[in-house]
Amino acid sequence: MGSSAAPQQQMAIVLTEDSADKLLPFATLASGAVALGMRVDVFASYWGLMAFRRGSEGSAVRIASGHGEEGSRLEQALRAKGAPSWRSMLEMAKSLGDLHIYACSQSMEVLDLKKEDLDPLVESVTGVGAFVDRTRNADVTYFV
Amino acid sequence: MSGYDGMSEAVTDEAAGGRRTVVDARGSWCPGPLMELVRVIREEPVGTEFDLLSSDEGSRKDVPMWLEKAGHELVRMTSQDGYDRYVIRKKHE
Repeated sequence: MGSSAAPQQQMAIVLTEDSADKLLPFATLASGAVALGMRVDVFASYWGLMAFRRGSEGSAVRIASGHGEEGSRLEQALRAKGAPSWRSMLEMAKSLGDLHIYACSQSMEVLDLKKEDLDPLVESVTGVGAFVDRTRNADVTYFV
Repeated sequence: MSGYDGMSEAVTDEAAGGRRTVVDARGSWCPGPLMELVRVIREEPVGTEFDLLSSDEGSRKDVPMWLEKAGHELVRMTSQDGYDRYVIRKKHE
């Protein structure tokens, strides 16, 4: 993006959680990186993959795991302030730039999921080897 | 206005001499206003001026930083009644 010929930078994110307090920061981070012209590669595994099951459609499975009363307060605040859904943020980011979401093949096996059970935002099912190879030179890596 | 879901409103007015597009992203959360700007700036020709309205405090750093990286011009930024107005000129494709 822009006038410089600098090589495109890359952000790698490993997503393992499915609660709103993780999914919103994750989607915000990915959106920001895409806006700055970075390529973003996401490896969705376990609960992070469950968040992309077809039918859940962007609704978080839970709000905050392990925060008790605070969790319901957060839920109320998100609703009251008309928070965007994490899925709509990802959808916009994907339409603007280079966002790639992969499903962890091991999690698919354990959770008995098939590609067609997943949100179309998920590009493909991939093993950890392919993901690590694709992101081995990433400029920044996050584990959510 | 709920940002991503509602989509900000971009209004183009050619009567006022030169192309001018208002991107009303007030109420949109970080990084919504920046995302709207990145999207809209692509769709308009070089030379277009944009009025980006944002109530997100993060935009104050994010928008100028992105404009500098992307090579577009921040003509001015003014604050009023709970939001900021960024006047931006598209410099290149």
